[in-house]
Amino acid sequence: MIDNILDLPVGARPDSDEFVRAAMEWHFNPETGSAYWLRRAKTLDFDPRADVKSIEDLALFPNIINELRDVRVEDLIPRGYGPNPDVVGVYESGGTTGAPKRVVVLRDWWDRIMAWMNAGLDAAGFPRNVNWLAVMPSGPHIAGELTTKHAADRGGIRFAVDMDPRWVKKLIAAGKAEEADSYAEHLVEQAAFVLRTQDVGVIMTTPPLLERIARHDDLVDLINEKVEGIVWGGAHMDADTRYLYRTEVFPGVRLRGGYGSTMILGGTNERADLTDDDPCIFDPPAPFITFRVVDPDTDHSVGYGERGQVVMNHVSKNMLLPNNLERDLATRVEPPAGQAGDSVADVSPVARFDDEAVIEGVY
Amino acid sequence: MTDPIYIDALGANGSYRARSRLTVSDVAGDPLVELSLVPKLFVSRTMSALRKADTLPLEERLAALAKAGELFATGVVDGMSAADYQYTVSRMSGTPLPIVREAVQAIARSAADAYRSAQQARPVGAVNDWRDPNARRGTATWIRRGDVFAVHAAGNHPGVHSLWLEAIALGYRVAVRPSRREPLTPYRLISALRASGFGDDQIVLLPTDYAAADEILRQADLSMVYGGQEVIDKYAADPTVLPNGPGRSKILITADSDWRDHIDMIVDSISHQGGTACVNTTAVFVEGDPTPVAEAIAERLSAIPSLPPEDDKAVLTAYSLEAAKKIEGYLLAKAAGTKTHLGGDGVVDELADGSAVLRPAVHQLDDPFAEQAGVELAFPCVWVAPWTREAGTAVFKDTLVLTAVTKDERLLDDLLADPTIKNLYIGDHPTYWMAPGVPHDAYLGEFLMRTKAVIRD
Repeated sequence: MIDNILDLPVGARPDSDEFVRAAMEWHFNPETGSAYWLRRAKTLDFDPRADVKSIEDLALFPNIINELRDVRVEDLIPRGYGPNPDVVGVYESGGTTGAPKRVVVLRDWWDRIMAWMNAGLDAAGFPRNVNWLAVMPSGPHIAGELTTKHAADRGGIRFAVDMDPRWVKKLIAAGKAEEADSYAEHLVEQAAFVLRTQDVGVIMTTPPLLERIARHDDLVDLINEKVEGIVWGGAHMDADTRYLYRTEVFPGVRLRGGYGSTMILGGTNERADLTDDDPCIFDPPAPFITFRVVDPDTDHSVGYGERGQVVMNHVSKNMLLPNNLERDLATRVEPPAGQAGDSVADVSPVARFDDEAVIEGVY
Repeated sequence: MTDPIYIDALGANGSYRARSRLTVSDVAGDPLVELSLVPKLFVSRTMSALRKADTLPLEERLAALAKAGELFATGVVDGMSAADYQYTVSRMSGTPLPIVREAVQAIARSAADAYRSAQQARPVGAVNDWRDPNARRGTATWIRRGDVFAVHAAGNHPGVHSLWLEAIALGYRVAVRPSRREPLTPYRLISALRASGFGDDQIVLLPTDYAAADEILRQADLSMVYGGQEVIDKYAADPTVLPNGPGRSKILITADSDWRDHIDMIVDSISHQGGTACVNTTAVFVEGDPTPVAEAIAERLSAIPSLPPEDDKAVLTAYSLEAAKKIEGYLLAKAAGTKTHLGGDGVVDELADGSAVLRPAVHQLDDPFAEQAGVELAFPCVWVAPWTREAGTAVFKDTLVLTAVTKDERLLDDLLADPTIKNLYIGDHPTYWMAPGVPHDAYLGEFLMRTKAVIRD
């Protein structure tokens, strides 16, 4: 029975509490749980199999995400997968706050989440049988792998540009904005080679790179001519920017956002049928991935329409990553009917107009 | 306040009301303005349109400038009368209404005079056009260093918007990022310029948050920014950015002159226009005992009334109570260990509407090199220090305006020669003195223009 509910497709809507209980049984049963969680369970002041009965109860867990910087990846694989688990890959977090955190993605989860994301692309009218150009973090980052799979599953070829976001962050932190700038222009140049010579139907990139691409009139023309859809992710896009793309820059191109994280082993889809004035709203595939928007000082949920910090849960047969407070701020939005947890909108860093401290001088 | 005033971005395709907006309140904290904040994509597309745009021919643009100045000062712009505009600016920025009125007149004069004023910076060897007869013998011509000029404006005083009009007169396309404290003046001025003949792609208003602000500078050929020391340091090594920072203006009275003959000028230099300009005096240096000078200044400044900014007799700039307390806290921390003549119990004076003015502060230092002499705050706040021959000109390093009351010509030669003292006024001239055609911090034209050799048949 346990296996059944955990093996449902991501699009299915099992009872979320029943699902969580099954997942606790899987991850904390000595027969099936991972070495990491079985070891970690000994230091918890509760018994997950007895005490975690609902999505809400996931908040009992400490945020273990930083431990993923050091754990042996083999220890993260549930024993229930047997001696030869089908490992798709090991993926790492951005690594912007020190050593990277690692997760292991197994075949069953990967196929499920990708099928769900594919269905989202179909629903949004994205074409099949076209080639993809990925200008996304490559290497150990999950985003690059995702585009390979998308293109293949949807009947196309993937073109890619190498991108190392950690190096960019390092340059910016060291005050070398000009070098970061040159690197970004280098990426755009690489993308341009593909755009000029190949058939590209879908581009997947980040909002900052899309902005750079949009500065080049010739590339804007090429995209309007060839490309049918743009998927963006990995950073934030406000409603004004989206409106400008849709009305002025890429008027005939479908634009769709994804909000994801390596730490949830995937992403979410932008809600379909949003109006120009709506913010970008993301609905996670609950109960596998759930969000909670909280006031970080009290850990209580903020009201709908209010801003707070995003807490993410990933619960699957593949992994258990509960109660992870991310740095992103978002507006709490009511989830689709019958879905557990929160949806999120306007995910962004804190807006800042000027430095608020007293500055000498009169300006 | 029922209906907010919308300040939209003025982009290359007309005005744009963003979904992302900042509510700007008046000094009492009541919401007054909804300021649209445009994203980086809007900025880069607008800057790109500025770059592709034409420049209006000289005669046309000077006529449009003069007309716009008049419209700005007296007309109805975007549905708002001149009187409503002045009142709103006063309530929003806390700038006393009489000062707003003067600044508006000054902007209109600058608009009419911008080209003539800019021409003062043209080298004597340069002409404006290859058609000039001098070109047959060979000459320098005066040309723009670029086409697109950006301004990160300040909101401390509407008058800051008179300077960039020279760039317009010289043929630049201009992008202005308004200050959050007072975005209405550049909105009105740019609306007036557009209504008078300038194209939407020739002059733009780009209100942005912090993240997109640098993009404006990055895509401009040349820029002017206003800010504190941090901003000055940030752009110090960038030859395309002209920073306007703290003025730290000062007055020196040497022993050969009697300070009593100049007390009006001294007090006026400190408090003129509410003490919020970079040309207001921050420190007074006295050769001999500074105590009686400090006492006299304190006595005079204490008579200034505390009035709401929209009052016809208002002198002091109003702030939100919170902002006022923040500045007061900063002052009290900096003033520790100095001798207080005025403002020792605090300078915040709360007004009936919940806003506050900062009342004058006078502190005496015992060392000419005390660091406080460079602490410039945006209200009548002065540091009175002793000056000695040994201290010499070194204490005046990084001064926007120095008024020197002295008969010592050798000293005046040294002060004039020091390039870190930007302006030198000799005798009974207040530090805030300015006149069209006389540079404020060198001529803007020195930054905007260069020479090119031309010889023709």
